[in-house]
Amino acid sequence: MNGSFVISQSDKRPIYLQIMEQIKRRIAVGDWTEGQPIPSIRQLAVDLHVSVITVKRAYLELERESVIVTQQGKGSRVAPNPGLGTRLQEQELQKYLEQAMRLASLLGIQPQELESRLREAGDNVAAKELI
Amino acid sequence: MTDLAVSLSGVGKKYPFFTLDNIHLQVPQGQIMGLIGPNGAGKSTTIRILMGLVHQDHGEVRVLGHRMPAEQVAAKWNIGFASEDMRLYESKTLEWHMNFIRSIYPQWDVTYAQRLLKRFGLKAEQKIKGLSHGQRVKATLLLVLARRPRLLVLDEPTTGLDPVARREILRELTDVMTDEGRSVLFSSHNTQDVEQISDQITFIDRGRIIDSMDKEVYLDRWRRLRLEAPSGIEVPALPGIIDVQQDGRLAVATANAFAPDLANAYEGTGVRVQCIETMTLEEIFVANVEHSREGVGA
Amino acid sequence: MNRSVVQALILKDWRLQRLLVMLSLAAGGIALAVLQVRCEMAFFLGSTWFFVSMIVLGCMLPIANVINERKKQNLAFLMSLPVSVLQYAMAKMVSTIGMFLVSWAAFVVAGATFILSRPDIPNGIIPVMLILAALTLIGFCVVAGAALVSESEGCSIAATIVCNSLYGVASYFIIFNPAIHGDLKSPVPVWSPIVLTILAWEIAAIALILGITFYLQSRKRDFI
Repeated sequence: MNGSFVISQSDKRPIYLQIMEQIKRRIAVGDWTEGQPIPSIRQLAVDLHVSVITVKRAYLELERESVIVTQQGKGSRVAPNPGLGTRLQEQELQKYLEQAMRLASLLGIQPQELESRLREAGDNVAAKELI
Repeated sequence: MTDLAVSLSGVGKKYPFFTLDNIHLQVPQGQIMGLIGPNGAGKSTTIRILMGLVHQDHGEVRVLGHRMPAEQVAAKWNIGFASEDMRLYESKTLEWHMNFIRSIYPQWDVTYAQRLLKRFGLKAEQKIKGLSHGQRVKATLLLVLARRPRLLVLDEPTTGLDPVARREILRELTDVMTDEGRSVLFSSHNTQDVEQISDQITFIDRGRIIDSMDKEVYLDRWRRLRLEAPSGIEVPALPGIIDVQQDGRLAVATANAFAPDLANAYEGTGVRVQCIETMTLEEIFVANVEHSREGVGA
Repeated sequence: MNRSVVQALILKDWRLQRLLVMLSLAAGGIALAVLQVRCEMAFFLGSTWFFVSMIVLGCMLPIANVINERKKQNLAFLMSLPVSVLQYAMAKMVSTIGMFLVSWAAFVVAGATFILSRPDIPNGIIPVMLILAALTLIGFCVVAGAALVSESEGCSIAATIVCNSLYGVASYFIIFNPAIHGDLKSPVPVWSPIVLTILAWEIAAIALILGITFYLQSRKRDFI
């Protein structure tokens, strides 16, 4: 179940953020469904070979964001929240858009140019999907 | 209050050229404590005092509830100790050592030992003198792990190992955590290993403890801020910042007590915050040691 | 629960030093074989070899069994076991002296048997032989104790040299002591009061040396 969790060393972000992102991604693509039980903190820590405290932090933050729920003595599960998957994907889209804006501003690209570049990118993606 | 697997309070030891001073250290049961510090900082000495191999000049040491070194025999039934300067008997085989340990400890798990042999790629019939450094380290760790001790005390368990071997060791150490009653204390130069598996981190330099706390809290306190100052302005070191390196208009500030409003504080002085970066434990290590040495008048 | 750890340590030492002990026994055996040849040179060679074997064992055993463990850094491994500094010392002294005692006893018995078997050698030599042999046992205890307490190869070697040098002097005083000298040529072993007194003192000396060793060892605060 946890085989595809990989903590990247080249990823500069803290481990707990990487764990959070990978959990969110699973939910976003539908591999982990609403209400589904997820590994206990200790079990995930052992599986990923990371400290318990890091996983604990990831779970706490996820709970704060209402992505998962933890019940005392019963473990954790994906939040029974319809549309959670979509919401997470929305969050990720927003993150990428903001990053694009930041990079564009560094390169000195104006918002209008960025808009046309976005359309261009859309065409590329569509073309690749046809192949 | 959680049980403490290890507790050192006010521990000190004086040597001709080195003094260990006022050491306070606590490892809660079920956690992994990573001990980091430069060479000669006192990591090995602290560990030896903990094991009762060296008698402290003052201070109290309790390991698994036992006072050390007075009750070291009772404690050592439940401690698995491996240090970098430990050697096995060269002329004997790994199997001889396994049988020797087994003859003493009833908790020796034969199946687990066999599994470890396979995982570590070791042959029991091989003599110790025929093993490479990495294999010897793994052999020593096998002898300690197969007993499933309640406390593992390891001095540099991954030093000198290739990446694959290191991964194997880290895997076994985190596996220990499956049992909430077991704890680990290990020292390492390899900050990456410490960052990955430690719950608590203790930083030691020149015989003194610089920091000792929850790893996530600790990592959260440190940030690198990339700043842009107006022309001619010197970037100030605001509270929470321990170092500012400025070259022209660009500056890098290192914070060891970061709070979100620090960025606002800088913006308030007219300095623009370009970005705020987290720091790896290695970067924190270097910054911390340099800072603490400056303070003591290195 | 802990006697078994001490036992395990003693057994471990035996297994590690087996070869050395067997070699010395073999050397003694060869010496005895040489002594069977009835000529003066054979007697000289054989008896010298006999004593040298015992003395060499006496030198090598403390170094092999006591010093090397520290030199080769095996100590950390052993002290991680549930054993105290004193228990380790006890196991070490028992195994070291025990191994020497095996060879020593074999040598003494072989020597006595040899003397008894040869009508041309008076049996009156036997008590003196025992006294002299006990001297080497005392010397060995000193060297073993020194090795354990000093933790230094240099010290052990110095102790060995000092003891070996004293054998000659002590032997002289014992052999030429008027009360003993006369009984040397006797066809039967004479267990005179002086012989028994000396033996008793020798046993006391061994006890004293062991006592001092353990006392000094217990005063150590740092094991490594």
